[in-house]
Amino acid sequence: MSIPEQLLTQLISATEEVFERMVFVPVTVGTVDGHVSAGPHRHVVATVAFAGHRNGFVSFHSSIDTANEIAGAMLGIPHDSVNGEMPDAMGELANMIAGSLRTRMAAFEPAWTITCPSVTIGSDFSTRYPSEVSEARVPFTMNGRTVEVEIILSKR
Amino acid sequence: MRILVVDDSSTMRRIIINTLNKLGYKECHEAANGREGVERLATIQVDMVITDWNMPEMSGIEFIKAVRGNEATKHLPVLMVTTNAAQDDIVQALHAGVNNYVVKPFTPDTIKDKIEAALKPA
Ligand SMILES: [Mg+2]
Repeated sequence: MSIPEQLLTQLISATEEVFERMVFVPVTVGTVDGHVSAGPHRHVVATVAFAGHRNGFVSFHSSIDTANEIAGAMLGIPHDSVNGEMPDAMGELANMIAGSLRTRMAAFEPAWTITCPSVTIGSDFSTRYPSEVSEARVPFTMNGRTVEVEIILSKR
Repeated sequence: MRILVVDDSSTMRRIIINTLNKLGYKECHEAANGREGVERLATIQVDMVITDWNMPEMSGIEFIKAVRGNEATKHLPVLMVTTNAAQDDIVQALHAGVNNYVVKPFTPDTIKDKIEAALKPA
């Protein structure tokens, strides 16, 4: 099972729209990979899970520096004065991407339920999934930096 | 005009308030969930409420029902700002008593238009 094309297309549009409207910085989509292991610089992961007609989650990955830059842009403050606000900003970013994807997909299928966001920040962790999932990671470039949006679909 | 902004994300409250300030609405108050929103409305006077849907402790839908169920606040214009924009969501929010609906991610123009529409007498 792979991630349906329609889901990927809507995920890309949702991410582009969230960055354009709420981060005020455009992103450019890169080549979609079937599976990419987390590299050493992806230190912030913001996740929103969904259940119902489909089960899985959407995660946003970036370095801490880039996450601070995004948080500053959302809040309208310089990135070096971002402090405790970053996790909330990343959570809300993931919430908007997943929520917008849910709304877009609700035009074609029953609306899912989505969870509150969770945010993991660290330098030495990786995520493993059970074998019964499909995954796609979509890289985006923002001001020359790479961020990634990941979608995981469970068969159950 | 005084506006109460209710959202569990401090980032989203800041984005909404920055947008409102740019549109000329300078007096904004904040609450982090529906329960806090109800508490704020008991102590301050506002002319409009802008609320999120998904929040811990008391959701936006429960909050709107509380606003509509209180003699002192039942006539307040309420704008819902949420990512929940499937057809059924909008029906549910209208049932609860919202005057207008803004889908996140929004543009400043949408906020401006929806505020103006919500302030017009029905
Ligand atoms: Mg919320």
